[in-house]
Amino acid sequence: MDKDFANVEGPAETIVGPSVKIQGDLNSEGNINIEGQVTGKVITSQSVFVKEGAKITADISASNAVVGGEILGNLKITGHLILQPSAKVSGDIACLTLRVEDGAQFTGKCNMKAASAINGKKTPPPSDLELEAEE
Amino acid sequence: MHYYIFDQGNLPVEKFEQLQTEAAGLMAEFKISGEAARVTPLRSISDLVDTASQRGAKTLVACGSDDTFNLMLAALKGRDFVLGFIPFDENSYLAKILGVDSVQAGVKAIAARRLLKIDLAKIAGNYFVSFLEFGVMSHKLKTTGLFSSLQLLSVELKNIQIRIDDSYDLNLKALGGLIVNSRALSAKSKTIANPTDGNLDLLILEKLSKLQILKYRKTIAEGFLEEVPKTTVIKCKKIALLEPRGANLTMLGRIVAKFPATVEIIPQRLRMIVGKNRTF
Repeated sequence: MDKDFANVEGPAETIVGPSVKIQGDLNSEGNINIEGQVTGKVITSQSVFVKEGAKITADISASNAVVGGEILGNLKITGHLILQPSAKVSGDIACLTLRVEDGAQFTGKCNMKAASAINGKKTPPPSDLELEAEE
Repeated sequence: MHYYIFDQGNLPVEKFEQLQTEAAGLMAEFKISGEAARVTPLRSISDLVDTASQRGAKTLVACGSDDTFNLMLAALKGRDFVLGFIPFDENSYLAKILGVDSVQAGVKAIAARRLLKIDLAKIAGNYFVSFLEFGVMSHKLKTTGLFSSLQLLSVELKNIQIRIDDSYDLNLKALGGLIVNSRALSAKSKTIANPTDGNLDLLILEKLSKLQILKYRKTIAEGFLEEVPKTTVIKCKKIALLEPRGANLTMLGRIVAKFPATVEIIPQRLRMIVGKNRTF
């Protein structure tokens, strides 16, 4: 795993088993590992792992995410997002860094700004000096 | 002042009196003697807790079985005591959790007075510091053989519906599960079954193949469901058990409530005397 994505891994505090169907807002303060179905919202200050076979019809808000299942909803990730080969995402993505692996399907808009922008703060406009440097 | 509640429970009189004498001797040796009272058909544990409160006791010690301690918890009614436990039952689950697995260890812990604030779980007027079960009968699995284990874990799956923290509903077909505040053995994962984290852990066991039953039956018997593949693990503060209606909720094989029921955690409610070898 790349250095940037190394901190995505970790033990899950919440595990949603393959035959579980969740309806409502799933909130956690730790890592969430989803193998079943979730309809509603998924919110955590840590990482979300959507395993192959999982079906999420929900907006996801997390620090990092690794997606191998299906998501119908928007992803607001303040850190790293990995779309694995089995991932199917229909929705808009906002994240700091993104890795899309061979075979992953993604339909939607992708917005990659600074973490502060994802958290709701506006990205400051580039200074004149930066504009000159770009030219 | 220490107030000791001695409860014979299911012990033979001779054995009980022998343990009571041993405990009294050790209390005198460690200079922690206080007032002692014995549970009788006319003086229930609840009556004795009332008496302790009237006498101004600050430390309440249950000397008996896990049931003695659980009944003492139910009788507290919000009154603030430091609690201790001296086990008179070699197989006491609570003794293992608290790290006081003998009369001597219990008395020593009270003398050392190592205090910890721990969470208290509440269900239908009952309180517990250990765990509840539905469907899975871990205590039965401990004593049954291979064939019986296969039978116990090959039963028909139940449609389970649970509401978590008034925030989301969980629906699944499963064998059963555990609602854990603490356990008698330390798990690999320090985040599960920690009675000081202000949370309950809901562990739900999904269908297992025969091979998996053979491989994990001991793990299930110990209550470490999170080590079994496909187990659902949820950390929460409130669990409303909705379906299947009428299903039993048991604590060490004793039925304490039936579905529908609500389990809640009261964070850091108990001031508990614990031993060095506690599981958390």
